[in-house]
Amino acid sequence: MSAQSQPQFPPVDLAATEAILARYAAEPKHLISVLQDLQLHYRYLPREALERVGAALGVPLAKVYGVATFYKAFSLTPRGEKILRVCTGTACHIRGAPLILSELQSRLKIAAGETTPDLRFSLEAVNCVGACALAPVVMENDTAHGNLSVTKVRRLVRSGAAGSRGRGSAELPRPDDSPAKKAEESEES
Amino acid sequence: MSEVNLGDAPFTMTIDGKRVEARPGEMVLAAAKRAGIAIPTLCEHKAVESFGSCRLCMVEVTKAAWKGWKGLMTACLYPAAPDLIIETQSERVLHVRRNVLDLLLARCPDSTLIQRLAAEHGVQQTSFSVREQPDLCILCGLCVRICESAATSAISTVKRGHHREIGTPWGGPPPACIGCLACAHVCPTGHITFEEHGATRAIWGRSFELQRCAECGAPLPITVEQASFLVERQALDASYFSRCESCQRRATAQTFGRLARWQKLGLTQEPDARQEGGKR
Amino acid sequence: MAETAQARFASVEAFLRHAALLKTSPEATQRRVLVCLGTGCMASGAREVAAALERALAALPAERRVALNLCMKKTGCHGFCEKGPLVVLWPEATFYKGVKPKDVPELVERGIVGGEVIERLLYVDPKTGKPVEKYGAIDFYARQTRIAMRNIGLMDPANLDDYLLRDGYQALAKVLAGWSPEQVLKEIEQAKLRGRGGGGFDAGRKWRSCKSAKGTPRYLICNGDEGDPGAFMDRSLMEGDPHGVIEGMAIAAFALETREGTIYVRQEYPLAVEHLERAIADARARGLLGERILGTDFSFDIQIARGGGAFVCGESSALMRSVEGKVGEPRAKYVHATDKGLWDKPTVLNNVETFVNVPRIVEKGAAWYASIGTARSKGTKAFALTGKVKNTGLVEVEMGTSLREIIFGAGGGMLVDGPKGAFKAVQTGGPSGGCLPESLLDLPVDFDSLTDAGSMMGSGGMIVMDHSTCMVDVARYFLSFLTDESCGKCVPCREGLYQMYRILSRIAEGQGTEADLAKIEDLSQAVAVGSLCALGKSGPTPVLSTLRYFRHEYEAHIKEKRCPAGVCKALITYSIDTSACDGCGACLAACASDAITGTPKKGETFQINTLQCDKCGACAAVCKRGAVAIS
Repeated sequence: MSAQSQPQFPPVDLAATEAILARYAAEPKHLISVLQDLQLHYRYLPREALERVGAALGVPLAKVYGVATFYKAFSLTPRGEKILRVCTGTACHIRGAPLILSELQSRLKIAAGETTPDLRFSLEAVNCVGACALAPVVMENDTAHGNLSVTKVRRLVRSGAAGSRGRGSAELPRPDDSPAKKAEESEES
Repeated sequence: MSEVNLGDAPFTMTIDGKRVEARPGEMVLAAAKRAGIAIPTLCEHKAVESFGSCRLCMVEVTKAAWKGWKGLMTACLYPAAPDLIIETQSERVLHVRRNVLDLLLARCPDSTLIQRLAAEHGVQQTSFSVREQPDLCILCGLCVRICESAATSAISTVKRGHHREIGTPWGGPPPACIGCLACAHVCPTGHITFEEHGATRAIWGRSFELQRCAECGAPLPITVEQASFLVERQALDASYFSRCESCQRRATAQTFGRLARWQKLGLTQEPDARQEGGKR
Repeated sequence: MAETAQARFASVEAFLRHAALLKTSPEATQRRVLVCLGTGCMASGAREVAAALERALAALPAERRVALNLCMKKTGCHGFCEKGPLVVLWPEATFYKGVKPKDVPELVERGIVGGEVIERLLYVDPKTGKPVEKYGAIDFYARQTRIAMRNIGLMDPANLDDYLLRDGYQALAKVLAGWSPEQVLKEIEQAKLRGRGGGGFDAGRKWRSCKSAKGTPRYLICNGDEGDPGAFMDRSLMEGDPHGVIEGMAIAAFALETREGTIYVRQEYPLAVEHLERAIADARARGLLGERILGTDFSFDIQIARGGGAFVCGESSALMRSVEGKVGEPRAKYVHATDKGLWDKPTVLNNVETFVNVPRIVEKGAAWYASIGTARSKGTKAFALTGKVKNTGLVEVEMGTSLREIIFGAGGGMLVDGPKGAFKAVQTGGPSGGCLPESLLDLPVDFDSLTDAGSMMGSGGMIVMDHSTCMVDVARYFLSFLTDESCGKCVPCREGLYQMYRILSRIAEGQGTEADLAKIEDLSQAVAVGSLCALGKSGPTPVLSTLRYFRHEYEAHIKEKRCPAGVCKALITYSIDTSACDGCGACLAACASDAITGTPKKGETFQINTLQCDKCGACAAVCKRGAVAIS
């Protein structure tokens, strides 16, 4: 992540860490499960939480850090409300995933692996989400969107920009309106 | 460490046409070393368990019963077994070794160790794209393993694949580090560096106070943190780290001198109950 | 139905009584509206369709509902994901595809209540152009032999009684009623079941060597990490038939005399985790898992471990480290996992599809299973057929079926007409596999034939490529995947695959030389024998297989600085064919780099400024008239 787009780290409430730790026996083998729950809760792995987890499970902090940076599921910086995971599996790759990814990068103005400064979107290029029959696919949090085209991707960004309520008003800036919009709409039907 | 139970009796294998004795439970590399057969290694060290990451110690292994099948195995992890026939210089072995060294040279072009090993294998310069901003780390992982087995696991491997590196939590000074320098001492390429000025030692972005001699105040070659780690974890006596070497020697000499005097006087016990010297 | 509230089966007999009773219950004779809620159909809006159906059915007058004897089931994946959302009426087997919420009123009124067939929602056979009414008459299904996937799509995976209605847990009951562990081992050995995860190792032999290894406890692991891009049969099985996985593991555990099992599921498969958790809880509640299963002395339980998102964890020794809570780094396998695996104890690890086959083998016998398939590969294999083919989805066929039969039979042939859309290659085995050319289409597919041809079975991904796919780009894609997914422990894999990627990138950019080809072949050999684990050892396969069968494409990139498929950006230019352009302006809106000039107006045409163009292809993708040319 580039230094400029580094989002603000929200204050960390460690009560949630304690609650997550309470779900598991205090054994090193539960480290990955605990980290997954933390990631889900905080949308990243805050340092304070990892320090607490290491102490609680008896895993050296460096090992915790090693695990946290090894697995793709974990992020050490806050991720956005909406995580757009562009599947770059083989089937998606040959059906146009690179184009989908570049379109999202230019619309969101972030690179894969980054988060928008307002913490609304994170963009990730992931390896195969297992929905290959619908290639190309983008996962929006846990929802899969299949058979995507450039125009469908734009809609996805717009609906996300309108907040979690779904499709709506707030549109991202776009180069042109009337004819392009017509072209998009004709594809929607 | 993997052990193969073959009873306790030594047995023989063939390495490069030579009969070599091996012991149950030991690896091919150890048996070869004892027999004076050199196999290059980078990630192996007697102080830690074998890891098999550098792939330099690969040898070709077969047995008469394997009908001509030969496998390339890492000598550091392959258990010695009766009747193994091992080649350490076959064309396949040298091909892998050359490529490994060529690749490492692209990764660490400035490492004199890699330069030397590569040259020994006929690789004068790398045939691959040299890494941008190269350092001396070949990622053998010795530092991480020694820190885990002998110290506090203050460092670890970070990230994965081509982005893998050796690092500290969040890249900052590692909180668990005790400044023991084990990592720097096992580092084969000199990538891990440290500095010592007077009674302070700096490594991994941290600065440590050295333990001082209780008598003369000279700095000891051990940090305060390391001393308390050894006392706590390895159950060593604190007095072990209280004096510098010369004060220690002086104290020992005094003790021996006193002992000699008692013996002259025919005493069997120290007149005064106070203990002198270290508890070695 | 409140199946969790029902009591534990105190004995095998009690279980068999219940199962028999169930078959004569009204439940068994109900007409079923099967709505697919697999990941694929959900992506196409199946959740909304299911909700609309539920509402519409609930709105029917009560007496009508009773008379119709109807129930709706949310099922797992039917495998025909591309045509989703799918609704199937059972037992008449009417198959509706692409159902939208707005179709639901008609579907209920005419289709379900009226008993008519709604033609516009039927699948149309691309060969005849005629609609096909019945599930089994569709080529995609008619050409399959489903053993592993026998249940998915036909039952509610969250309902244990539904599984029992399909003879679920009968095999476990049979084993517990009087088989010895040795008998189970023998049965699996005689069935010659080979692991479906990649290597095709003999499952019976694996179980046997674990059993005879020193040390207890023994551990059983189900590998649900399905990391191969382009494979999703295990996801469908875990989502659509979780009890099938559990039953297979329980039988294996009985044979191995072990109490502890783990299912390692990819982080990317949240629905699989949800369904497995539910199924495990239900099975426990009914005495089919946990202490003293069906009142016998056999106890066995399963926990789920979620993966952290690392392809290398599909490698068994890396997976075991991950289950232990560590970084997923493989170990040298001179000592087998069956001797020292999880926590250094004897461990059996098989993948999802392997376990799902086990109950069927026990039920119908090893001889039956061994009669299916080829001499050395028995039974069936599920393939995820994807890419540039008409019917994409899950296809389970007998071992030995030809590639042609799979791609042009069940798959319905190539997606795009014309020379660009003609078959070029099929990629099997994921990043460890290779690309096979047209000349090998009649190859009977089994573990050994694919390996001999320079590819491999892998977990069963089958990606069909046409002439718009560049083989240099495909090889480069896999290397980029692997350099990212390598754990980075050993030198040949970490540094070697990266250097191979660099060389291929040079070739794709038109900077390659013939010496590069020799270099990459030489390095491939070293990486293949020098790497620590299967990821690195098989990493060069996509490169070697494309070099073997498509060397001319590499040469075109090197000698002619030309990408024949029109994929490699550095070697292509985009332009607008003014004779085809109608001035709609779609390309203008699509272009993110302001490289297109012109006024959107009928009769006007557009130009692409090649200096500004970043060759993303967005204009070509949106142009309805094919006026954007790539040269």
